[in-house]
Amino acid sequence: MYLYNARYIKMHADVEVDCHVLVIGSGGAGARAALEASQYGKTVLVSRTLTGKGGCTPMAEGGYNAVLRNADSCPMHVADTLRGGAYLNDPALVDILVRESPERMADLIRWGAVFDVTDSREIAQRPFGGQQFPRTCYAGDRTGHEIMATLVEQLRSRDIEQLQETTVIELLLDGGRVCGAAMLDRNGGLLLCRADATVLATGGGTRVYDISTNCAAGTGDGFALGYRAGAELIDMEMVQFHPTGAVYPYNARGRLITEAVRGEGGLLLNAEGERFMHRYDPERMELSTRDVVARAIATEILEGRGTPHNGVYLDVSHLPAPTIEERLPIMLEQFLAFGVDIRKEPMEVAPTAHHIMGGLRITPSGQTTVPGLFACGEVAGGVHGANRLGGNALADTQVFGKRAGESAGRAAKQSGAIPISAIGAIGARLERFRAGSVPPIAIIETLRRAMWDGAGIFRTEASLTTAGETVASLKTRTPQARTDRNLAECCTVENMLEVAGLIVRGALLRRESRGAHVRKDVRTAWEPAQSPYGHTFQSRSGEGIEQREVAA
Amino acid sequence: MKEGDMVGITAKVSRFNPETDKEPHFETYTVSVHDGARVLHVLHAIHDRLDPTLAYRFCCEAGQCGSCAMRVNGEPVLACMEEATDGMTVEPLRLPVIRDLLVEVEGVLARLAPFEAGEEPEIPSKEEIEAIKPLRDCIECLSCVSECPAVDVASFLGPTGMRQEMRIALDPRAKHDRIKKAIDEGLFTCTTCQRCRDVCPKKIAIPGRAIEKLREIANREGLTLPRHQAVARLIEETGRSVDRTKATFLEQVPEVVEPDGPVRGEVGFFVGCMYNGRVPETALDMIEVMKRNGIRLIIPHDQVCCGSPLIRTGQTAILPELKKRNIEAFARKGVTTVMTMCAGCGSTLKNDYDTPFTVKDITEVLTEYGIEPPARLDVRATYHDPCHLLRGQGISGQPRELLKTAVREFVEMPSRCCGAGGGVRSGLPDEAAALGKQRDDEIKKTGADIVVTACPFCEFHIRENTDRPVKHICTLLLEGYREKDRKRNRPAKG
Ligand SMILES: Cc1cc2nc3c(=O)[nH]c(=O)nc-3n(C[C@H](O)[C@H](O)[C@H](O)COP(=O)(O)OP(=O)(O)OC[C@H]3O[C@@H](n4cnc5c(N)ncnc54)[C@H](O)[C@@H]3O)c2cc1C
Ligand code: SF4
Ligand code: SF4
Ligand code: FES
Repeated sequence: MYLYNARYIKMHADVEVDCHVLVIGSGGAGARAALEASQYGKTVLVSRTLTGKGGCTPMAEGGYNAVLRNADSCPMHVADTLRGGAYLNDPALVDILVRESPERMADLIRWGAVFDVTDSREIAQRPFGGQQFPRTCYAGDRTGHEIMATLVEQLRSRDIEQLQETTVIELLLDGGRVCGAAMLDRNGGLLLCRADATVLATGGGTRVYDISTNCAAGTGDGFALGYRAGAELIDMEMVQFHPTGAVYPYNARGRLITEAVRGEGGLLLNAEGERFMHRYDPERMELSTRDVVARAIATEILEGRGTPHNGVYLDVSHLPAPTIEERLPIMLEQFLAFGVDIRKEPMEVAPTAHHIMGGLRITPSGQTTVPGLFACGEVAGGVHGANRLGGNALADTQVFGKRAGESAGRAAKQSGAIPISAIGAIGARLERFRAGSVPPIAIIETLRRAMWDGAGIFRTEASLTTAGETVASLKTRTPQARTDRNLAECCTVENMLEVAGLIVRGALLRRESRGAHVRKDVRTAWEPAQSPYGHTFQSRSGEGIEQREVAA
Repeated sequence: MKEGDMVGITAKVSRFNPETDKEPHFETYTVSVHDGARVLHVLHAIHDRLDPTLAYRFCCEAGQCGSCAMRVNGEPVLACMEEATDGMTVEPLRLPVIRDLLVEVEGVLARLAPFEAGEEPEIPSKEEIEAIKPLRDCIECLSCVSECPAVDVASFLGPTGMRQEMRIALDPRAKHDRIKKAIDEGLFTCTTCQRCRDVCPKKIAIPGRAIEKLREIANREGLTLPRHQAVARLIEETGRSVDRTKATFLEQVPEVVEPDGPVRGEVGFFVGCMYNGRVPETALDMIEVMKRNGIRLIIPHDQVCCGSPLIRTGQTAILPELKKRNIEAFARKGVTTVMTMCAGCGSTLKNDYDTPFTVKDITEVLTEYGIEPPARLDVRATYHDPCHLLRGQGISGQPRELLKTAVREFVEMPSRCCGAGGGVRSGLPDEAAALGKQRDDEIKKTGADIVVTACPFCEFHIRENTDRPVKHICTLLLEGYREKDRKRNRPAKG
């Protein structure tokens, strides 16, 4: 391929940035990766929001899992994670997650994180669903915010260039290797960044569903960017529906009600006042894994035992008011803002799309299947299998953020050039949006409903096919950018369609019910541990489902 | 609340395009949104359906990231949490505007103190964690910075900058003592007006929890401003923060002042240093108003400075002694209610003391008892809200109620700190003057003939910065009574 030097490219794109490591996304994973990478060379941290303010990390409430006590153990945490993940997790990644999570917690504490502690100066831990030991460390119910604040305090003292409110729209390829990214700044100006190594840390994407806990940045851009750059993605059908999302008012629906509410003793009741979990998981009751609780609630509602707002009750009013005030301040504040005093009355909740367990396939060092590209955090797959345990995602961001940052930092220097062909394609794409005719919102709303109806908690081949057809037809419509500043939105719309397509295809590929993925049209004759299937995989060069040998 | 019910909302939204506009202007939009929609959802509806060029910031949509702070009907709020109302106006925060509702924040955020850990830091104790936690709720929305009067006229990183410094000062893991940095960042520029606390979506009490505490640390390290040290010495030596230059109020009045007519009530009177030593005339006016309205005053002569100038400037060593003397002075007389007419003393007695009696501002006392209506003076008046009355004591209605009975016309002006508080007037007079000047501009805009207020610091300071007469509410009432008497052809007493 013919290469132009960097100076020439300047004439085509507005600005050029050159660095050793480019980190895309400033959530928990991206910030951690940037801190690590900056020890090896010039590091640029780009995010489409203000640094640290975007993404789902600051919204995480419940906690961070780490084995810290003698009565707990790494094998126990591994066992819980694998069992929760329906044995679809990549065992090597789980081992690392569990082993290094305490070390990354120690980093955070060293950097000044203000976690709750016990009277004997130990990090306090609370019980979370699906775990044998109360190993979830927390900072009230603003744990993610605390982690983010700590990382941002560190970023401020390091030499890391931050490109804020800048949206990455394409990864740049040099031969088969990622060599940086194209982005749009706040004004829609195109900006190119060349990097020896690139870390994708763009977080999750459940905003492709009508009802979602995710922040506005949760559109899954990174999955689409990685896919278009040739990376392989695994288990994209594995979408976690959190059992407890708000159901009203309309605009707050989907907003997360943290699992800590159940951890602290919250009870789930149907409209008849029955504590229905005894029919679904009599042993663990409300503290069962998320997939089980979400399906239980969905079933109660489907079978007519739901509340007037189509939810079930989640009640903490039996707990002492000071406990609620101290342990669940954000919940209390948010519900009060909507006129509900949770100290006195129950909340109404229903499942909401929460987390994408699938993502770019990574090695333990965070390397994707494309040279030059690393991934960490929610955009990477394999750690959580078919269902993520509460508290494991924040740990994931720190453990794999550090690893990806370090690997990228250690990557070899590359030639300082970006192939011109890539830039031409980007220009053509942006031109298409300028000439587009469909308001982005029209595409997004149709997509979200189609995904909720067809690829939601319960799936069949027919429902998935319908959703897939809707996605395909939406892909033929061109979103309109009225001004340059709307170009990024249009790119995101296309990314959302890409992600939705990946979820639907993954769900069709997996002809079994497993973890968060429930196929009502196929009978699953095996326990998850005995499933003959491994990861589903999709890339531009092919798709399929791995078969695996299982001991009888 | 029924789901899915749609309501129509009309909103006036500030628009600014840096390429074509010289200054922002309002556009009016009407959109249909779901019942219970927040301001942010109205902006989404405008952006999605009417005008995709509208620029605004948001991300979490759950009050947790601090991206969406803006002014709705003039007050800073989080757009994702504030319920939308029909007819609302939406404006950017008072920070440099980039476009529409987008303001420049990166600069300030980048300057917030980083955390530098010492070697092998230990896990803090539970008490240490609990002390830091309230300062940690900050979502860096910069509402506080945008409304801070000191940021406006002085070199000050802003309230959340001080919050961050205090967070580090409280953390045993931090490597350096940063108090000198905090001073460089403007620690002494804060007037303790409490505006930041009121606009903070997380209700972080920065003046009390951070600024005054940092000033205490500075004091322990001998870094208090010389002018503030002089005040502390004066209080220690004389019990008063004001030099005796003339006969004081307490020297001129007996310990019990009986009303003219029948006794309708009785209160203790806490005079404070300003009314005692600098503007005793106003306090004497007050006596006439009380006498006329049947309220007996008990005025212990052994009362001293409330300690406010020490608390605000972080010099709290002799505070317990002052508190003890004051509480005993009034307790000995057996009063159940103590009245203040200095907003600063009132706020201090109410918020920093633990008193065996109730403390009330004079405007509360007068409106509760009800007063004889004065004659209306033929003037247009405006009212300046003293910070320590409005935010320190939550009092805004009573002074207006009283004021309206005494003048021909009352006009509002936006409430803002005049610059007299927090030791700024003595410590950083230029800053205080700049804020005083801003008050004068607002006063001029109202076209008022007189300015009325209810705090000696404000009264004194604004008087220096405007050519309009500045009066305490009591002086105004007394003038109204005299006018009334003159009309009845009966000379007023006093
Ligand atoms: C409400 C909620 C509560 C949760 N609670 C918990 C919990 O208690 N415990 C737990 O373990 N997990 C929890 N999770 C999950 C966990 O928060 C996330 O999985 C994790 O924080 C993801 O971190 P991340 O760094 O991968 O991505 P994010 O934090 O989502 O960050 C993504 C970053 O990428 C940027 N970005 C995205 N697209 C682009 C683009 N095109 N160009 C440039 N930048 C881009 C964004 O601006 C952002 O900076 C919760 C999730 C949610 C939504
Ligand atoms: S109290 Fe007033 S002057 Fe001081 S920081 Fe807060 S807003 Fe600024
Ligand atoms: S202190 Fe409050 S108002 Fe100021 S930035 Fe923090 S959250 Fe916002
Ligand atoms: S959008 Fe995050 S606080 Fe409002």
